[in-house]
Amino acid sequence: MLLQVKNLKTYLKSGGETVKAVDGVSFHIDRGETFCLVGESGSGKSITALSVIQLLPQGISSHPEGQILFDYRHDDGQVENVDMVSLAESHKQMIRGSRIAMIFQEPMTSLNPVFTVGDQVIEALQQHYPEMSDADARARTIEAFKQVKIPNAEQRIDEYPHRLSGGQRQRVMIAMAMACEPDLLIADEPTTALDVTVQAEILRLMKDLQQRCGTSILFITHDFGVVSQMADRLAVMSQGKMVECGTLKEVIKVPKHEYTRQLLAALPENLPRSKKQQLASDSDQKSLLDVSGLKVHFPIKKGVLRRTVDYVRAVDEIDLKIPEGQILALVGESGCGKSTFGRALLRLINSTGGEVNFDGQVLTGLSRKQMRPFRRQMQIIFQDPMSSLNPRLTIASTLTEPMKVHGIGSSNEERLEIARKTMMHVQLDPEYIWRYPHEFSGGQRQRIGIARALVLEPRFIVCDEITSALDVSVQADILKLLLDIRKERNLTLLFITHNIGVVEYVSDEMAVMYKGKIVERGLTSDVCKQPQHEYTQQLLAAVPRLDI
Amino acid sequence: MTDSGLPKKSSGYTSQILRDTFSRWGAKLGLFWIGVLVFCAVFAPLLANSHPLILSQNGQWQSPMMQFMTPNDVIIFSLFLITAILLRISWSLRHKIVTGLGLLFVVTTLSIIFVTPPELTIYEQYRDNQSAEKYDWVIRAPIPYSPKDYLRDEGDTGLEAPLSSPERTHWLGTEANGADVLSRMIHASRIALGIGFIATGIAMFIGIIIGGLMGYFSRWVDMIGMRLVEVFEAVPTLFLLLIFVAFFDRSLYIMMVIIGVTGWSGYARYIRAEFLRLRQQEFVQAAIACDLPLKSILFRHMLPNGIAPILVAASFGVASAILAEATLSFLGLGLVDDPSWGQMLNQAVQASTFNWWMAAFPGGAIFLTVFAYNLIGESLRDAIDPHLNKS
Repeated sequence: MLLQVKNLKTYLKSGGETVKAVDGVSFHIDRGETFCLVGESGSGKSITALSVIQLLPQGISSHPEGQILFDYRHDDGQVENVDMVSLAESHKQMIRGSRIAMIFQEPMTSLNPVFTVGDQVIEALQQHYPEMSDADARARTIEAFKQVKIPNAEQRIDEYPHRLSGGQRQRVMIAMAMACEPDLLIADEPTTALDVTVQAEILRLMKDLQQRCGTSILFITHDFGVVSQMADRLAVMSQGKMVECGTLKEVIKVPKHEYTRQLLAALPENLPRSKKQQLASDSDQKSLLDVSGLKVHFPIKKGVLRRTVDYVRAVDEIDLKIPEGQILALVGESGCGKSTFGRALLRLINSTGGEVNFDGQVLTGLSRKQMRPFRRQMQIIFQDPMSSLNPRLTIASTLTEPMKVHGIGSSNEERLEIARKTMMHVQLDPEYIWRYPHEFSGGQRQRIGIARALVLEPRFIVCDEITSALDVSVQADILKLLLDIRKERNLTLLFITHNIGVVEYVSDEMAVMYKGKIVERGLTSDVCKQPQHEYTQQLLAAVPRLDI
Repeated sequence: MTDSGLPKKSSGYTSQILRDTFSRWGAKLGLFWIGVLVFCAVFAPLLANSHPLILSQNGQWQSPMMQFMTPNDVIIFSLFLITAILLRISWSLRHKIVTGLGLLFVVTTLSIIFVTPPELTIYEQYRDNQSAEKYDWVIRAPIPYSPKDYLRDEGDTGLEAPLSSPERTHWLGTEANGADVLSRMIHASRIALGIGFIATGIAMFIGIIIGGLMGYFSRWVDMIGMRLVEVFEAVPTLFLLLIFVAFFDRSLYIMMVIIGVTGWSGYARYIRAEFLRLRQQEFVQAAIACDLPLKSILFRHMLPNGIAPILVAASFGVASAILAEATLSFLGLGLVDDPSWGQMLNQAVQASTFNWWMAAFPGGAIFLTVFAYNLIGESLRDAIDPHLNKS
């Protein structure tokens, strides 16, 4: 046993209150195995990891109970069993980095932008091996870069972080963590900020390294797909407590605890499917929205005179028809232009060329006034429930102000009544309309975002990654709600997402977007089963799936 | 599961920021000093006045203090009352501001029309009458000297050090014309507060409108706006003030306007940056998607979310406006007869000797006031800084 955590409790003080972030957690990790901690946001999984490596700020955290026993391998090979909680700070520092290393979620911010990536790894190396010469350290760093499969390691070592992509930065982080050959690697959601194809590569790399070096990994994630690829054993956490712990097969196939069962049932691929109306692909259905050759180009300006030298082709000649009453999912990785496309449809961003045709009327080129009746019919729901509601306005004013502008309801009382009804529609207490956004949880805010779109009684809604900031259980509720509402009101939706599981659950048709162009489009079931385009095949293959 | 929990009720952002700000000792200290100043400014006629507050002559009660009240005194006093009352009532902020401004306008008009102090003011008459024992009894202000009471009855007095004269008590001495320094300082606090708030108010108003338009529209509006900001940043306020003072009357109001009109560029820059950020926020995008009118998007949705950094800048702006006025008065170009801290400082070095009390007390008051505003600004900045908040 490399690491043994016994009844660990971590309490955090914040503003006079004590939060029991970790409340009696016990587990162990053997040498060379991967142990996954799974849970929704706020379940205490990251705090557990930070407790193990003892990185929590000492002023606000305390361990009233518990032991973290770690097999500390001294440089001379002698192994000593130490308790990380009660160890002296100087010893903790020796263990941190050299015996226990950590990689974080956000590769964009975890590297220092003013040093080259090589310098940062070399510094870590020399910190733990003070006798190592500069040349040796450099050679070893290049070796480490090669191990994490960074192409042209000899040149890339002198690059600054901003020149590397997100995936490559995460590779550098892994190289840095692995450079000192730690016994335990803690990975805190290392792939959450990455695209699926990159995620697949990073996961493969980590497994590879583990097999070669025999490192144990404590892997923290919220994604069961990733868990099923990585874990030997896993534990499910909820509200600071460990509700279930066992081998991958045990937990996934026969979950014992109610919470685990709920969590697994909430995964989009496990949600009960409602029978989809069988629709013919495009031609014979009347389309509500008809986009032809839509282009959004952003100029790149250079030089003293700010002359336009080139364009970023965010959306590059897209043709798309969405039949009335259908849900079309637009899938693509970050930066492929899918959000820009959604906003260009509503004319939140002006298009460079092409036409948007809504219900027989060309929208591009309409003046603000002419656009008004269409604004009411086309709405948008955003990704981030934190920033999509004005923090200074009550829900009542957020909901009634658009109604007033569009002449819905004759008096304020009538509009408030409509707002209450809409709140009930999205399954919230109608009396919550007098509250401010910060009093709600993420899922509740997303419901309010849906309510705001619904009060104008639109026919078409763009859903821009509306569930990607939410936990799976909340995501499941929101998706169900959306499907219900769509059925009731015969809404047409453009569902922008990167999550294939959600696409399969929610959409009738899907379109795959890659570098500003649509590369494949068809019925969701067809595309998912038999992808035609090479990129779609890659994308689908990279999605971590829960195989049962 | 996690979605169904009852939303937790907690206080609004504004009150949280205010609580955060004023829980810091610096802000508390600053607020205390500003409070003292406000008290002095509002109750100046009651604190330092040559006219007795109440007296009884032949069994008849009268209040010379009330008789000699100027419209200014009345306006300041009622402004204080209106603010105090409105702060107690739980109305919406907009309601409060509209009512407050409306009431203030009514009071101003009324007091200008109806409050008419006697044109000829003879300060010594009450002192003479009192020593001649013509009154049954007299209640005098704690400092029984008006700021412009040059003690003509005492002969040629002039500069006197604190408590140096055996028959009269001047706690902080007298100035060159023989007026009581403490009395003048108390009355001068009105100018210090007024110039700070009004000049900064004008600057903020202009800055928010121009900066807001620049940030929201960007492109060519931003281009023109930024050039305008640069032009105004190149104008040296002090020299402009000197020119205006030379050409026009030495009016407090002109000073306020000039300090305000030249000082907006900083606020415009702040607001522009905030609006550029907010423009991309999803709730603003949603407001545009709902086709809300521009006025609502700018002032209901964006401004309240971007105002915090402006308030920090404003508290420093108030301090620098006070300093500008003091500088001008120190150079002898301030108000002619009305008391002002800077003008008193000027007298410290004008005579052949160094009159320490003329330097120490007004100088100390200027220092403390500027320091107080800086402390509040500092705390406000810390309170809205998300990086500091996390720890």
